[in-house]
Amino acid sequence: MEPIKAELVVLGAGPGGYAAAFYAADLGKKVILVEKESRLGGVCLNHGCIPSKALLYATGLIGEARESAERGIAFSDPEIDVAKLRSWKDSVIHKLATGVGALADRRGVEVLTGRGHFEGSGVLRVETEGGQRFIEFENVIVALGSRPSIPKALDLGNRRVMTSNEALEVEMIPESLLVVGGGYIGMEMGTVYAALGSRVVLVEALDSILQGIDSDLVRPVLRYAKEHFDELRIRTEVRKLATKGKQIEVTTDGTDGKTTELYDRVLVSVGRRPNSDDLGLGNTKVELDERGFIRVDGQQRTADSNIFAIGDVTGGVLLAHKASKEARVAVEALVGESSIFEAVIPAVVFTHPEVAWCGLTETEALDRGIAVEVAKFPWAASGRAISVDKPDGLTKLVIEPETERILGMGIVGVGAGELISEGVALIEMGGTARDLAETVHPHPTLSETLMEAAEMFYGHATHATSRQKRKQ
Amino acid sequence: MDIRLPHLGEDSDSGTVGAIFVKQGDVVEVDQALIEIESDKAVASVPSTAAGTVTAVHVKEGDEIRAGTRIVSLEPASGQAASSVPGAAAPPPEEPLRQVTIPPRPGPPPKGPVARPTPIEGIPPAASPSIRRMARALGIDLARLAGTGHGGRIVLGDVREYIQQLQQAGTAAPEQEARPSKLAVDFSKWGPVEKTPASKVRRIIAERMSESWATVPHVFQFGDADITELMEHRRKYAPIYKERGARLTLTPMVLRAIALTLPAHPKLNSSLDEASAEIVAKKYFHVGIAVDTEAGLVVPVLRDVEQKSVFELAEEIENIAERARERKLSREDMQGGTFTLSNQGGIGGGHFTPIINKPEVAILGMGRGRKQPRLVEGALEDRVLLPLVLSHDHRVVDGADGVRFLVNLIATLEGLSEADIKPD
Repeated sequence: MEPIKAELVVLGAGPGGYAAAFYAADLGKKVILVEKESRLGGVCLNHGCIPSKALLYATGLIGEARESAERGIAFSDPEIDVAKLRSWKDSVIHKLATGVGALADRRGVEVLTGRGHFEGSGVLRVETEGGQRFIEFENVIVALGSRPSIPKALDLGNRRVMTSNEALEVEMIPESLLVVGGGYIGMEMGTVYAALGSRVVLVEALDSILQGIDSDLVRPVLRYAKEHFDELRIRTEVRKLATKGKQIEVTTDGTDGKTTELYDRVLVSVGRRPNSDDLGLGNTKVELDERGFIRVDGQQRTADSNIFAIGDVTGGVLLAHKASKEARVAVEALVGESSIFEAVIPAVVFTHPEVAWCGLTETEALDRGIAVEVAKFPWAASGRAISVDKPDGLTKLVIEPETERILGMGIVGVGAGELISEGVALIEMGGTARDLAETVHPHPTLSETLMEAAEMFYGHATHATSRQKRKQ
Repeated sequence: MDIRLPHLGEDSDSGTVGAIFVKQGDVVEVDQALIEIESDKAVASVPSTAAGTVTAVHVKEGDEIRAGTRIVSLEPASGQAASSVPGAAAPPPEEPLRQVTIPPRPGPPPKGPVARPTPIEGIPPAASPSIRRMARALGIDLARLAGTGHGGRIVLGDVREYIQQLQQAGTAAPEQEARPSKLAVDFSKWGPVEKTPASKVRRIIAERMSESWATVPHVFQFGDADITELMEHRRKYAPIYKERGARLTLTPMVLRAIALTLPAHPKLNSSLDEASAEIVAKKYFHVGIAVDTEAGLVVPVLRDVEQKSVFELAEEIENIAERARERKLSREDMQGGTFTLSNQGGIGGGHFTPIINKPEVAILGMGRGRKQPRLVEGALEDRVLLPLVLSHDHRVVDGADGVRFLVNLIATLEGLSEADIKPD
């Protein structure tokens, strides 16, 4: 068969890959999108952001209903139909994935289902169901993402030991679940299963859950987890997993010494690794770092000048919207624009309550010795937070003291993920605490906490008092 | 003494400990924040009511504490200790930075540098994404602009103004170079004169020296090196050098001393980038040698002097000086210098004040070594003293740095041994 000629091949149809393919097509490029799964959308849509948020939403109602009794409206205990929950979640994925396919069609982006393999710097071999196809390309964007990493010692090949992929399938509700790793995936999935009624124990090797996030933002999540999880053990490592009948025998080593217990299911969420192996990068000039992430420059270009890489496979923070932004930078670079990646990337953890931050964090400022001032507004002083009975929250600003420019924002509380975008816009625009303090926010809303945090910086928030007055 | 949690307000007397700012052994001042406390109504820091050294911290993050709870124990400081805390005396750098919040100026934009916020690595200058995109497309580095918005934010008008400034500077430059007005004096009134056009070399020298003299604040450091022993070595080895086609003068010896001294004084081997206000420290040592030719002064450059022996330097000087006199030097031969040596001793003279070869920041001038009486351990002795003057750019090199270099240089020169001079 004649090799196919293509201006641009995008490898991987996740939120980085399809964004790149669509944008390039919009700019007039002939694009082939290669995806090994029959369904578009990548990890985010199929095994990540979307199903986890669907499950967090659905199960969140259980706790809401229970708490409602204290406000005089009581519901009877919920009946949980796992099969129906699973099929509703699948319908969400199906709807979105079909949408992505239709968007590709409408733009004339050719979707090739198969696994891509570089034969050289200009040729890609794709293993499709109908046999091998060769593509001679001008440019390639590698957007193959990442997958859960599971240490050899914990990989029993037993379906009772799950990664996030399996946990999101909600095959059943285990009576007991051990979550290994207190990062955002472990915390989110632990929250889902705890709400469904599992006895959840979470172990974290380091001295805190949600490592890297400012400790004041983590504290409300910690309080929730302590209340709703059976146990939370920090500085605890899993030494050994073993199959014991229908259960998993787990040996942990923590502050109280060694413990051996039985669990129905174990979820291993200790990190993710890049999908940069098995695609023939050795036949190109592309370079990998020591952890296997593809090295790129500020325009997402690899050491092989015709090959770009975006998203999880390039490392950094593994977030869908970072991949989508990098897709734009890469496509603009290959049409000759001078774009570089310098965007503020917000992060959201969808725990109860949510944690969201963007820009410079207080922890990072401290580590890097950047002089900043921090202004905080506690949600216990927000009329909206109290009237929706969610007073456990905090909004904080990281401010450059000389210019009063806002360098970072952090929020913990219900809906933090929706609120953070105002912070992103402010930072991108080079906004100051004064700009935020003087911008009217509607009352009563949670967004007021942003404005009042800025007012706290000047020592005159309406709904809270500050012991520190800024010298004018 | 103990510092305890004070009353927080009318209706709240307890709170959760947020961040802890001090640890055991820290020296704190009055009013310095010790911890942060989160209550229903506020997040606030708790200031120290006394100065001293922290001997114990009694709370940890997340503790629920009430008014009266012990926070830290302090070993009180004497009156002086409190005020000598580092940082307390540092002058606040606010003034120049504050200028950026001044509203847009009426009238034409001011020329010259305007205060800009200190850039933080990894954080782009304060400007909206659309402005940053435009600047990238135009190849404009926004870090060089001063914004007029809140906090020095760069808006479209600032970029427009900056481009106008660049354009004005671009078109104004040739006009400034216009010829100076004709000499008003008629010298022939008082006797016969002869007029010849100044050579290209002469004109370049005039231009460079005027520019350096006008823009570089020169400091001159005077010194003398005792070269009595060196002169003895010279007498012994000059014939051997001559046999091998090189001349053993003081120049290669002083050059060797410079090569040994310069790496320990990186400021003297740097340049000032006036546009970006950056000090450019060079990690190589290329020394220019001022050579007197019929056409005028030229300064060829010897590369990587720190890797060369006195003999190798002597050979190279011989070679390059000859090429200079034969006018066979290329442009490359005269570029890349990091320091200059000017030896007038062959002609005579004592101390003199050389002009810095900009953008280098220092030059060493050598006069002629003379026999002079000098007190050595209480007795007058005949010694040969070499007059040396270091000129340095005070914008980069302070007097103390300059004289430190000169003192080290003289000690190094005086310490050169026979082994250093003897060819391999």
